[in-house]
Amino acid sequence: MADSPQIKLDFRKSLGSFILDINCTLETKVSAFLGVSGSGKSTLLNCVSGILTPDEGEIIFGGEVLYASASKINLPPEKRRFGYVFQEGFLFPHLTVAQNIRYGQPKRRKPSAAIDVLELGEFLQRYPSELSGGQRQRVAIARALAMEPRMLLMDEPLASLDTALKERIIPYLHHVKDAFDIPILYITHAFSEAMALADEAFLIANGEIIASGEPHGLLAAPSAMPIAQLTGIENILFLPVTLSDKAKGVTSLEIEGQSLVIPYTEAEIGETVPIAIRAEDIIISLEPDLSISARNTLRGTIQHLDVKSEATWISILVEWHHLAVKITHQAREQLQLKEGLEVYCVIKASAINRLWE
Amino acid sequence: MRITPAEVAALALSIKVALLSLVFTFPIGLFVGWLLAKRTFPGKSFLNTLVLCPLVLPPIVSGYLLLILLGRNGLIGGFIYQVFGIEIVFSELAVVIAVSIISFPLLVRGIVTGMESVPLELENAARTLGASPIKVFWTITLPMAYRGVIGGTILGFSKSLGEFGATIMVAGNIPGKTQTMALAIFSAVHLGEDVSVYRLVFISTIVAFVALWLTERFTLR
Repeated sequence: MADSPQIKLDFRKSLGSFILDINCTLETKVSAFLGVSGSGKSTLLNCVSGILTPDEGEIIFGGEVLYASASKINLPPEKRRFGYVFQEGFLFPHLTVAQNIRYGQPKRRKPSAAIDVLELGEFLQRYPSELSGGQRQRVAIARALAMEPRMLLMDEPLASLDTALKERIIPYLHHVKDAFDIPILYITHAFSEAMALADEAFLIANGEIIASGEPHGLLAAPSAMPIAQLTGIENILFLPVTLSDKAKGVTSLEIEGQSLVIPYTEAEIGETVPIAIRAEDIIISLEPDLSISARNTLRGTIQHLDVKSEATWISILVEWHHLAVKITHQAREQLQLKEGLEVYCVIKASAINRLWE
Repeated sequence: MRITPAEVAALALSIKVALLSLVFTFPIGLFVGWLLAKRTFPGKSFLNTLVLCPLVLPPIVSGYLLLILLGRNGLIGGFIYQVFGIEIVFSELAVVIAVSIISFPLLVRGIVTGMESVPLELENAARTLGASPIKVFWTITLPMAYRGVIGGTILGFSKSLGEFGATIMVAGNIPGKTQTMALAIFSAVHLGEDVSVYRLVFISTIVAFVALWLTERFTLR
């Protein structure tokens, strides 16, 4: 696989009182920009695509200057050849799926390989209004790929889909990542998506990059807790399978000697699966043996307490895994939780979701 | 009770003038409509007001202004008379100009409404797919705005067919030359030719009804 071209983003753009100030170099195949809505990540992508013009700075793609305020260079979007997948899809409603995909495709080409990769063959003659949300997003991705772009820009391509659908689309994104040898700039507010796809993640808040690095590393560090709060995420863990029982409908995972039961999922013994647990789905108990229906009790130590206006955020260390837990101030006071205390995390099996296949 | 040659001539002239006017105004209307719907530029509200003016001015006033402008001593008419030796006023060309000015706002309003309904995001998406602004116009903006464009065209065309006030001011009421349907009805009423009036009114009503019905069909889902 060829090395990804280096992409240099160094520009400023103000919109009203909001200022986007970006300075970074992308060198990996998939770079994710993570941030809450309003953090400026869509503005960033619009500047890279050429839809918006920055106030000042430069954008360089593999040595080619796309935008430079100093030398007054500003390539229009149609000359940049960046495939853009929008959150809302923005398929052309008056064109069929086939016509949508062909819209940006160079002349006299065979039907795009993206049609097969995204399994769209049976929908080609339909109109966008006749498709489900997930199918529409797949068409949007195929349309951006068919133009044979130099880079793929994805603005929350999964945000308008429900969780079940997201998990079905993520494998397609993996196929895209493998089948098309171009860099991808992926924008999301969901850590799970960034972890599933990205080689490097940039955390963006109030128009600035506040942290960057390999996505697992970015989350595993204790400093990830504010990030977890910022991005509204769940806990994400990569755990090996110890037992899988289809008849009983459960799969057991191992977390450093302790066992974690999740709803049955197709996986080999020993295979590592990514799972997500929402911070508010974890109950904290001071006793290990409770007569309750929840299937999982993990022993851990409170590493850090963070009292916020809406709730208390607790970082619990289970061996070397960090779990972010969100509880009420009342619960914190009644249980007299403090740093260093040994506690038990009670988690219902059904509150644990496998992230992607 | 048969329709007279003069009535046929008036009907034919009305249709001919309305079609000619459409040929001239449609491309300009597309451009102006696109400017007003999709662009921001200094003087935009002035252009919008200028285009809409004939809609609110009494047609007689528009006609009078045109007469001043196009007459042999007028700014435009004088120039053309001196260079080409052609007098515009009281000619078929004057009828075409008069109905064009009066019908133009209706045409443009339809086009603007249609084009404003096309989301900018779709046009931007097309740009990122490699389409130049001109290709975006022909493949996204215009096809998606077609209801408004067709609606404006039919309304403007019907207005041209029946225009009276501006036409009589700038082109007169010369049978066989500048006498359109509306002017023929006016003359027939004045001369007390009731049967002729009934026939012309009947034909006009049918034409107007069909045009409106077509508009509804194309602009409503």
